Amino acid sequence: MKLENEDALDNLIICQQCFTLHEEVPIADGTQALCTKCGGVLYRYETRLIDYGLALSITGLIFFIVANVFPLVQIELLGHEQYITITKTFVSLFDNGFYVVGLLCTFLIFIFPLMIFTINIVLFSLLKLAKGKTMTKELLVLISHIRPWSMSDIFLISILVALVKLIGYAQIHIGVSFWALILFVLIDLYITKYIHISELWMLRKGIFLHKGHR
Amino acid sequence: MIDIPEEQLTPCPVCEAVNIDKGIETVCRRCGSKVYPHKGYSTQKAWAYLITAMIAYIPANLYPMLITNQFGAVEGSTILGGVVMLWEHGSFPIAAVIFVASILIPIMKFLVLIYLLISVKYPIGKAKRVDKHKLYYMTEAVGPWSMIDVFVVAILAALIHLANVEIVAGTAATAFAISVFFTLLAAHAFDERLIKEKK
Repeated sequence: MKLENEDALDNLIICQQCFTLHEEVPIADGTQALCTKCGGVLYRYETRLIDYGLALSITGLIFFIVANVFPLVQIELLGHEQYITITKTFVSLFDNGFYVVGLLCTFLIFIFPLMIFTINIVLFSLLKLAKGKTMTKELLVLISHIRPWSMSDIFLISILVALVKLIGYAQIHIGVSFWALILFVLIDLYITKYIHISELWMLRKGIFLHKGHR
Repeated sequence: MIDIPEEQLTPCPVCEAVNIDKGIETVCRRCGSKVYPHKGYSTQKAWAYLITAMIAYIPANLYPMLITNQFGAVEGSTILGGVVMLWEHGSFPIAAVIFVASILIPIMKFLVLIYLLISVKYPIGKAKRVDKHKLYYMTEAVGPWSMIDVFVVAILAALIHLANVEIVAGTAATAFAISVFFTLLAAHAFDERLIKEKK
């Protein structure tokens, strides 16, 4: 394969699922390019990606805060009322001496989701303002390391499983946080699925290249 | 003008940029991460994590996952015991979810990773390249769902702690969490590009 220089490598893309080499072709706004071999999404072209990302991240963070402030579920058992919040879930593990599980849960369901959304907001704002060339780079690297470790969606399903186990033993009242958590998870899934890290790298290149010429 | 064979192009594991493979010390031209974070030890690291995970999986199944203290009667249930109990109570979907998440997925992941780690080193399994990539991609996707049981135990323990009725996490919760954590590490440590090189 003949190339002009190393920068020409940016026109090539390797499928994340089957590792086939592709050449990037221009596509229409709002459409996506698929791998010819396995059908996986290679990249997308969306001019308003930054605005979408910023709006979704801010919304997601608001829902996450709501989900943490109010009780998730409340149960009535033998005349006693008990409730849980996200924080209470892992704090009670620490109280019972399960430090390893507690620490793991703290990171998986609280710290990492919070970090991802905070980083997203900072990242999209910086890209929108076309500032912070090195900072955006570091944030992008950081976020691709954290992303696989955020497990809010799994936590949500776990709540449902736990509640089904309790049916018949206790009266269950779903709290405000539960709905907030559902919306947060939906936004989180949407961002993970539709905003690829590689697209953000391409966008970043476009933004700072353009700025350098002025 | 530079001329490089297509096989020498490799994606950065962090930012997915296409790089020219310049050996073990290659640094990604876009994000500056090391293209080969494990240097020459990629399979060894994955093996070490995987074996740790498998060892931790043994106590995870032997010790109780959930301890119920009901009016002084203490009762512990293991992962498999919990599944059987749910099945007998008629909660088939939940029993199935727990069975798949805590027993099927971990064991499948162990087997798939063992197969992949052996197959990149020794030429066994004549399956096509795409199949192995799909296999790896699927294990990566379903892997974290094993955490369901740990979270369920954490939620139940946080929710039910009255004077007379109490649910506490058991030893297996720690062992199982460690097992899942190391399986995830092993999957991340496995260098997917090895599949391609041994085409």
